Amino acid sequence: MSYFRRFLIVSVCGVVQIFFASYVLLGLLNLNFFELPSDSFLLPGILIILGSSYLTISYYLGDKKLNNMLYDEYSALRYYKLGAIGYAINGFGVFLIFSMQDWSNWDLTSANRMIYQIAAFAWMVFGFLMLIFSWGDYQEYHAERSS
Amino acid sequence: MGKHHENLLNNLEELRKKAGLTQQELSEAAEVSRKSINAIENGVYVPSTVLALKIAKTLGCKVEDLFKLP
Repeated sequence: MSYFRRFLIVSVCGVVQIFFASYVLLGLLNLNFFELPSDSFLLPGILIILGSSYLTISYYLGDKKLNNMLYDEYSALRYYKLGAIGYAINGFGVFLIFSMQDWSNWDLTSANRMIYQIAAFAWMVFGFLMLIFSWGDYQEYHAERSS
Repeated sequence: MGKHHENLLNNLEELRKKAGLTQQELSEAAEVSRKSINAIENGVYVPSTVLALKIAKTLGCKVEDLFKLP
């Protein structure tokens, strides 16, 4: 594992999540310009499973010296802060989505739409946070190259 | 942003430069990220005991030479 590989894995997963989340959110507003096959919605999940498996295996079985640098306490603090921001934004988002619903005409279709809205919003937020985290890795990779 | 954290004064930058090391070289020798070294030098982050000891060992000095209470 290296900063560049982690940057690639996390940023690709983040971009794909943002793409699919945008598609779902635009669909809810009837603003989809093209139709995606329903099977393609497996892609972000598969990427996350593959990416996180690779990261986990390299964490336990990879070069110890490199891992000490990649997963040091300051990176952990950054990750924790980004995760906390994500939970806070998602909490606020869920509150907003709940507030926007038409509870007087509530039915299964509305419930289904709300689940989509919450899922897409959370997907979007964590996608952006993954991009922000991976940008830190890119900066480390860039500093490594220029030294 | 000041050089020192409100709870800790540090001489890391000075001692690192005296040792002729860049942030990248020190981070590789101490097995921490360059961001950690940068954040400590800028007073943004207070390192754990283990990290402070690792840095001190790499620079061949005592932790007390690196960090002081204000």
